[in-house]
Amino acid sequence: MKALLVGEYREGKLLESSYELVGFAKKLGIEFEFFLVGSKDQVPQVDGKLYLADAATAKEYNPALHKQLIVAAAEKAGAETVVFLHSSYGWDLAPRVALALNAAQFSEVVEANAEGYLLPACNAKLRRRVKATTGKTVVTLQVGAFMPAMGGAPQVEELSVTGSGDCEFIGYEQAEAGEVDLGKAEVIVSAGRGVGKPENVAMIQALAKALGGEYGASRPVVDAGWVPHDRQVGTTGQVVSPKLYVACGISGAIQHLAGMKKSEFILAINTDKDAPIGEVADVLVVADIKQFAPALTARLQG
Amino acid sequence: MELTRELYWNVGHSVLIPMYLLVAAAFGVMIWGVRKRLTSYRLGQPLQRTDRRAERLSGVLRDVFLQARVMRVKGAGSAHGIFFFGFVLLTIGTTLVFIQADLLDPLFGVRFLTGNFYLFFSIVLDLAGLAAIAMLLGLAVRRYLLRPKDLPNVGDNALMLVLLLAILLTGFLLEGARMAATELGTDLSWWSPVGLLFAQPFAGMAEASQRALHTGLWWFHFALVLGFFCAIPFTRLRHLLLTPTNIFFRDLGPVGKLRTIDLENEDAESFGAAKLADLTWKDIFDGDACTYCKRCQDRCPAWNTDKPLSPMKLVNQIQELSFSNPDASLIETVTTDVLWSCTTCRACQEICPAAIEHVPKIIDMRRHLVLMEGEFPGEEVTKAMESTEINGNPLGMAPAARADWAEGLDVADLAAGETAEILYFVGCYATFDKRNQKIARAFIQLCSAAGVKVGILGKEEKCCGEPMRKLGNEYLYQMLAAENIELIKGTGVQKIVSACPHCFNTLAKDYVDLGLELPVEHANSFLAELLGSGKLKLKPAALDCTYHDSCYLGRHNNLYNAPRELLQAAGASLKEMQKSRDESFCCSAGGGRILAEENIGERMNQARARMAAETGAATLVSSCPFCMSMFEDGIKGADLDEQLKPRDLLEILAERIA
Amino acid sequence: MNILVCIKQVPDMESRFKVAAGSTWFEESDLAWRINEYDEFAVEQAVQLKEQNAGADLTVLSIGPARVKEALKKALAMGCERAVQVVDAAAHEKDPFQIASAIAAFAKDKNFDVIFTGMQSQDRGSAQVGVLVAELLGIPALTTAVEFAFADGSISVRRELEGGLKAVVKAPTPALVSCQLGLNTPRYPTLPNIMKAKKKELLEVPVADLLQEQPRTQVLSLAYPEKKGSAQILEGDVADLVEKVIGILKEKTAVL
Repeated sequence: MKALLVGEYREGKLLESSYELVGFAKKLGIEFEFFLVGSKDQVPQVDGKLYLADAATAKEYNPALHKQLIVAAAEKAGAETVVFLHSSYGWDLAPRVALALNAAQFSEVVEANAEGYLLPACNAKLRRRVKATTGKTVVTLQVGAFMPAMGGAPQVEELSVTGSGDCEFIGYEQAEAGEVDLGKAEVIVSAGRGVGKPENVAMIQALAKALGGEYGASRPVVDAGWVPHDRQVGTTGQVVSPKLYVACGISGAIQHLAGMKKSEFILAINTDKDAPIGEVADVLVVADIKQFAPALTARLQG
Repeated sequence: MELTRELYWNVGHSVLIPMYLLVAAAFGVMIWGVRKRLTSYRLGQPLQRTDRRAERLSGVLRDVFLQARVMRVKGAGSAHGIFFFGFVLLTIGTTLVFIQADLLDPLFGVRFLTGNFYLFFSIVLDLAGLAAIAMLLGLAVRRYLLRPKDLPNVGDNALMLVLLLAILLTGFLLEGARMAATELGTDLSWWSPVGLLFAQPFAGMAEASQRALHTGLWWFHFALVLGFFCAIPFTRLRHLLLTPTNIFFRDLGPVGKLRTIDLENEDAESFGAAKLADLTWKDIFDGDACTYCKRCQDRCPAWNTDKPLSPMKLVNQIQELSFSNPDASLIETVTTDVLWSCTTCRACQEICPAAIEHVPKIIDMRRHLVLMEGEFPGEEVTKAMESTEINGNPLGMAPAARADWAEGLDVADLAAGETAEILYFVGCYATFDKRNQKIARAFIQLCSAAGVKVGILGKEEKCCGEPMRKLGNEYLYQMLAAENIELIKGTGVQKIVSACPHCFNTLAKDYVDLGLELPVEHANSFLAELLGSGKLKLKPAALDCTYHDSCYLGRHNNLYNAPRELLQAAGASLKEMQKSRDESFCCSAGGGRILAEENIGERMNQARARMAAETGAATLVSSCPFCMSMFEDGIKGADLDEQLKPRDLLEILAERIA
Repeated sequence: MNILVCIKQVPDMESRFKVAAGSTWFEESDLAWRINEYDEFAVEQAVQLKEQNAGADLTVLSIGPARVKEALKKALAMGCERAVQVVDAAAHEKDPFQIASAIAAFAKDKNFDVIFTGMQSQDRGSAQVGVLVAELLGIPALTTAVEFAFADGSISVRRELEGGLKAVVKAPTPALVSCQLGLNTPRYPTLPNIMKAKKKELLEVPVADLLQEQPRTQVLSLAYPEKKGSAQILEGDVADLVEKVIGILKEKTAVL
């Protein structure tokens, strides 16, 4: 089996997550070649062949042109499988390539073996094991599901494409600063009444930063004015489902639980081991958040 | 000397014809004024309020002639009552004069204002007049010198006070002039002590002057009385007519039961109230009947936590629109922030001396916003509505998990065909909220201890629809209610008990219109009965607590004593809050507000938590899962969690099962 | 203007899913059903577009058994003109390619100017159907829209990328737009519209009339990943707890 890995390039930079594709191929022990619409000045560190198209002509986003390029590369590589990340780039492009190749497609793969692929269903509550009934497959990988892997310098083969495609990419827009959308955060560390006083919110912010996420709060903390309302997690605030949710000193009022229980992994820190948060948490650390949070932050930074 | 006086002394019987003509004219003006107002009341929708007339009338007698509603508030209320009694006595006196002088005496030669009765008549009227003047002066001092905060004031108030005072004073001057000429120095004069006082300025005058002044005063007094009648429809004196009428037309209950909309009505183009004409005539009449006493506003938990809702202002706005701009948008005038602020706690309606119904007006306008505009106080509420449509509960929890709380308890699943003595309607919060599940479990423990087999609807139970209905979503409420009713009827159960006052009130009163006619009880009264009959036995243990009367148990269902009896039996010592029983202050969760963010003003639950803390009690006991949720948050939010713990009455009882 | 919006009925994600041994899909008993959240945004955008363009026509389509009529009725109450149920009792066994083929077969000769779909479904989350329908029809697909505008025969959307970044993309109609959460605020149907919806046309088309394609994928099994419900309790000294937590986060999450 041979795979074509489709890397991602945005705002003039190779996206680091692209290396997860290599990690996937290596984990499965399959042969691969790499594809990227990018720039000669920033060649990804991968072993083997790299099919490289110039983003100056093919644009960073142009699904019709990128599809043509990928199909051409897949044919050149003799790939039976084309692998994307399950991202705004990957899920947009993968079905187009799959259709062009008459391939079966699997989305958001979290694991693979000889039998087939493992896909999440129903908000990761369930998992499906699936396999293709066709010769070729296109898969998108859940971001973060596979460890990234790098290689040496690739052997570059340049590809080019003509035409304009059916939709026009106008440009990028960065979100306005100060606007918090917890719904999109991958890690959320939330403060509950257990933090004790407003000054202690800072230790929650520090932990959130150390984990590369956003900080949030339960309703009483927001009500008390310790944390702005746009950071409230719960049915009356934002309903969130990050990869990691850390509930700090939150006992777990129903309104709060309903707003965060869909998180993939929930770590709760509470002095009461019978607190309702334990119903939804994966791990409940019985400790005073005022001691635990600074210790964990220090360990993460150290 | 004969113990009587000459009626029509000095003015003579020749005034009779002009007098009666003028009185007739004044009544004509009054009737014309009232009729003009009727056109505004007629803008409203029909509503049947003339049934059960004896009951209606006896209420009028109690609340008008005994001043029962008015005198519930000390101070201004008592002053109003005493003034009223004085004024009524004077009116009776004048009527007796009329009966003797113009009817019995000329026709039959019968005189009854003589002898001891005359003495009694004299002194009673004198003292009544004195009391009335004193009360008026007191009320004037309150209004103009010691004005309570937010008491609205208009020219009418001054006119009323001056007119009434002038009538009373000219009456006494008139008496004084007559007495100076006829009674001074006799024993009879002592029976009119106030008149005697007013006679002093006239005492030294020649009789001709006394007579001339008397004639002048008589006509002036008479003119003032005519003015009084004419002014009734055009000033706030109209409450003399409108308050008794409004009490007659009052809502005879069940308390707090809302009008059920016919959603199948194909001809209905609009639901709820967007403009004045969508309200009922009674709603418009209510507006005119308001006496601006602001008792509702004083008690409104929304107003008292800096929200824009004043029940009085809302009613006043309806009145203003009905007489000035009936085609204007009612909802825009009132504003949506005002409408969404109401917790339907009924404190306003409970205290209103004019029997005005505030809450149904608010619900009617909410109904328009929801049913016609799809508008809610916030996105969180829209979400809760959608969750309820999908999952049958506003929390968006899996319906399949609805019976999880009862695991390990001896409970029959009635929906699965098992049988029991009573159906326990659990409600969403006791079902899904970990904290409130303790209440549900406590109820089962108590019933088991008393030997009562309890059944539930299991995962088939749906939200009773109360928060949705109070927020105006009549459609969703009726859908939920229909499903619950069909299910309940299918179980064949004969009695329903709920530990949630919202479910209880809804099932007991609102479901009747949709076909459920089973007895429904709240857990408190049900357990009080079991305790009384000896089936439930408690071993008392000390508890230092205060008790919060849930709006839907107390004001809506008059269940004030059962929880207190149970607390006593449990060995608790109760420290009452200043605002308790029918003056209880809402926890903020009523009126569907439990589903909404409270983002205007102070937090109501914190305000109530502080009131509880002021008693010094260590436990805040309530009997409602909604209150429990609010106090759990409110006590923490007010930083009182070190000193105050919220508990449900049932938890306390369950700990003391003997 | 002729608009199509495709919706899927899915179980509410709070539902308690039961999977029979050896089964490849969950049991349908005890589930609460709803319109796929992403599709609600699609319906709202379609209705807004219809309202902006006088005389526009809006069809809502769903594939599935009788229960999907509930979802269609809600879409009608939100403002769609007519509903089409592609009747398929075994829709859950069809793969995204088959579903897309059926929709494309339905849409082929109907000259839709704009087709809306959700970006993905909540239950399967393949994020394929919308793009596949566009590709099968040969029209541009603008995916992951968080902002939508239509003017002069051209659609402009903001695509949501990662890390707060958005991309502005334009395409002429006919085109397909897949909708991301937050695109708009789906309306709550008013009572008169609920009543009207009861009288709107609801067309049934047997799936066999539209679908000839064979599936390209096969589901082998469906299962719960691991038992959730009660937390692993960690107690002890804070320093030890920190080490344990770091270990667990490394092992169980992709965050560290």
